[in-house]
Amino acid sequence: MRHVIFRVEKERYGLPLSAVREVVVPPARFTLVPRAPPAITGVMNLRGRVVTVVELRQLLNLPEGPTPPARVVLLDRGRRDLGLLVTDVDGIEAVERISTAPGRVTPAVRGVARLGGLGVTVLEPEGLDAAVVALFTPSK
Amino acid sequence: MTMDMSRYLGLFISEASEHLEALSRDLVQLEREGSSSAVDSMFRHAHSVKGMASSMGFEPIAILAHRVEDLVDAVRQDRSRLDRDLVDLLLSSADALLAQVRAVADNKEPAEATALLQQLSARVTTITGHAPATTRVARVTVLKPAATTDAAAEPPANPEPAAAAKAPEASAPAPDETTRPPGAKSAPADPRPGSSAGGLTSGAGAEAGAAAREPRPAESLAHDVAARPAPGLELSGGLQAAAGGALASKPEGEARAPLQRWAVQLRIAPTCQVPGVRAFLVHKRLTTLGTLLDLRPALEELKAGRIPDGYIQVELETSVGDTGIHSALRNVAEVEVVSVKAAVAAPAPAPPAAAAPDSARASAEAGGSRTVRVRTELLDYFLDTVGELMLATARLREVGKVLPENARPELEEGVYRLHTLVKDLHDKVMSARMTPLSLITDRLPRAARDLARRKEREVDLVITGAEIELDRAILDELADPLLHLLRNCIDHGLEAPEERLAAKKGSRGRVLVAVRRARDRVIVEIEDDGRGMDPAKLKAAAVTRGLLAPEAAARLTDREAFLLSCLPGVSTAKDVTDISGRGVGMDAVKRVVESVGGTLEIDSERGRGTRFTLRLPLTVAVVHLLLVEVGDEVFGLPIAKVVGATEADGETLSRSRETALLPHGNGLLPVHALDALLGVPAPVRRGLRPFVVMDGDSGKVALAVDRLLGQEEVVLKPLSRPLDLLPGLSGVTILGSGRPVFILDVPRLLSA
Repeated sequence: MRHVIFRVEKERYGLPLSAVREVVVPPARFTLVPRAPPAITGVMNLRGRVVTVVELRQLLNLPEGPTPPARVVLLDRGRRDLGLLVTDVDGIEAVERISTAPGRVTPAVRGVARLGGLGVTVLEPEGLDAAVVALFTPSK
Repeated sequence: MTMDMSRYLGLFISEASEHLEALSRDLVQLEREGSSSAVDSMFRHAHSVKGMASSMGFEPIAILAHRVEDLVDAVRQDRSRLDRDLVDLLLSSADALLAQVRAVADNKEPAEATALLQQLSARVTTITGHAPATTRVARVTVLKPAATTDAAAEPPANPEPAAAAKAPEASAPAPDETTRPPGAKSAPADPRPGSSAGGLTSGAGAEAGAAAREPRPAESLAHDVAARPAPGLELSGGLQAAAGGALASKPEGEARAPLQRWAVQLRIAPTCQVPGVRAFLVHKRLTTLGTLLDLRPALEELKAGRIPDGYIQVELETSVGDTGIHSALRNVAEVEVVSVKAAVAAPAPAPPAAAAPDSARASAEAGGSRTVRVRTELLDYFLDTVGELMLATARLREVGKVLPENARPELEEGVYRLHTLVKDLHDKVMSARMTPLSLITDRLPRAARDLARRKEREVDLVITGAEIELDRAILDELADPLLHLLRNCIDHGLEAPEERLAAKKGSRGRVLVAVRRARDRVIVEIEDDGRGMDPAKLKAAAVTRGLLAPEAAARLTDREAFLLSCLPGVSTAKDVTDISGRGVGMDAVKRVVESVGGTLEIDSERGRGTRFTLRLPLTVAVVHLLLVEVGDEVFGLPIAKVVGATEADGETLSRSRETALLPHGNGLLPVHALDALLGVPAPVRRGLRPFVVMDGDSGKVALAVDRLLGQEEVVLKPLSRPLDLLPGLSGVTILGSGRPVFILDVPRLLSA
């Protein structure tokens, strides 16, 4: 299955191509979302749509790194206008044979796969969605 | 006998072309990005073209579109089936369809695309393992150089509303003249219900198509009408049903106090600064009561404030009586009602029609002669232009601020007048856009009849409140969703007569379409008394289609589960018909309702029926905002909730238990720093800063902001997931600069 491959710092991540609407360059400034959890970078105007952008690093609880995020991966989630802020996008690759990912089990991560001799973490769009919604739900 | 559909031809050509062009666009996008929304959208386009073509009787187009639909459906089930060859095939099919539509536009029979059809069928068969189904096409006549005798000879008793409305052109008396609901005269823009179904409304072709698939001789229909006495419930008498509904829901108000003439004398206080505005307000109030027969000084003079000694004389014909007049004028400031006397009806030129016993009919006729049809684009243009005028006026006011002090008053007076006139014009344009729902509900009875016949169901359709008005733009969008919901009720909701009898229900199913106003919303309910929906089945279907995780499904309430039927591809209907049941329509319904700023709710009880509730705004959502700056961020506060703004030094305010208090009027208001309230970083301010005073749930509050940026009129966008989970935000808008700005819900912000 074809996946969009992108990076958070040096780690590589993949999302099924069908779950990605497009990839854009982040705007010079985001509109801050009042009272939103810190992982929410803000909202941006994408051709008249208001898109909520989440920093993937924070969503996945990854440590802070030196490289400024340079791309927004827009998810195709029906009416939900959601974008993931990532370090960079590498391209589209076929990803096969996904095995269990190491570490804590989270619905946002489907597993890991080998790609060009290196590992790539395959994300689960449905789980990412749920993770974002969970950020907003007070019980968490 | 076949039905003449030629008046829908223009609509068919424009809509079908649009759909086909969009289909090609989607295909290209799909191949490039592989997005699932493109597949759903492709399916909708193919489905729409098939429906339209079959109802217009264009068999080659309908069959080809049907094959395309089948193939897209196969792709929808499994995206991996889409390869280059398939995209090529689909693209050339879309091109062929477009060519067929263009042929129709040139008044030619569309060519059969035999080779293409064979290829498509072969692909469908290899993918799905069975041969494609046949396509049903209505027997209608469209391509005729001139009307033949059967159109002319068609008796006007044909209850199809559009046909009925056209009937005045024929020699026989039209049924709508006699069955006109009294509510119809409250619709000056379009006094004949359903009369513009021929072309102004988008989707009329598709609807008429559904209506026309099983044409029946008009004579036998008329027979039906005569044979069944129940008025208002009679399905085949489309207009009667609508008229009966309107009658039933109309209060007995028509028969209230007789019209009487009153001479009213008013005086505007000499101290009044804005006599023109007061006079205009008085005029506006009085015109709502009845008919102004005489006004001195004339309206233009009044608006300009040229009122000798402040005296205004009005002669008014109204049914509200002197108490009504007094109460209408009671709260206009600076206006004194000098006298209200009954005026002797002048033996003036009474219109001859007024003598007719049937006054409702007479006034409707008189109304008819005073109205004209206006193209919707023209109405849209008016609204846009008035909007531009408002902005231009605001700009003038800004420019005036740089003039020297002594030159300003005259300009400001001029701008003020311009502003009132433009505002008034805006109101008028908006009211001209208000159109009764009957425009679209009048088409439902006929559609219900045809649907019921084909499904061998028996249906009573009851429509109430169709006289209620909505903005034309919203109404136009609503036509297809409403028809789709009706189809859903009849197709899936209602059981076959035997099944109903077994369930101890009457053999005739009942579908109720009820429209009502609730404050600033219009609520449309479509309800059947059929078998209801099964939340468990819907959940299972959504899980099977991979749209929902099983755990997520388990957590859904029944109400949320019903809304799963709005996801593309989820449908629990056992049989896929060409009417509905492919799960395409409901997602489109939801999308349309939400795009006009409304909401859709579904309630259902097994064995008892299903109710779809549409809550719609009266007009497109425009709000006035006060824009404020906090740190680097801009927020909008709804002007309706803003009481005022003031400046004060935050340091010097007195405090009570850590909360600063702002003196306002005779009291002290609690101060909330908006930066802290919103969690927005802002530098510490010293010295004077602006405060906005707003109405909260428990009294007024003051919000400390960094800067007031001014007022703006914006179009409100609803918040999409996950933003709707945040308390204190009521919407979002995009400013002229392209910057998204949140609109704050201050009471919720304070309580959360």
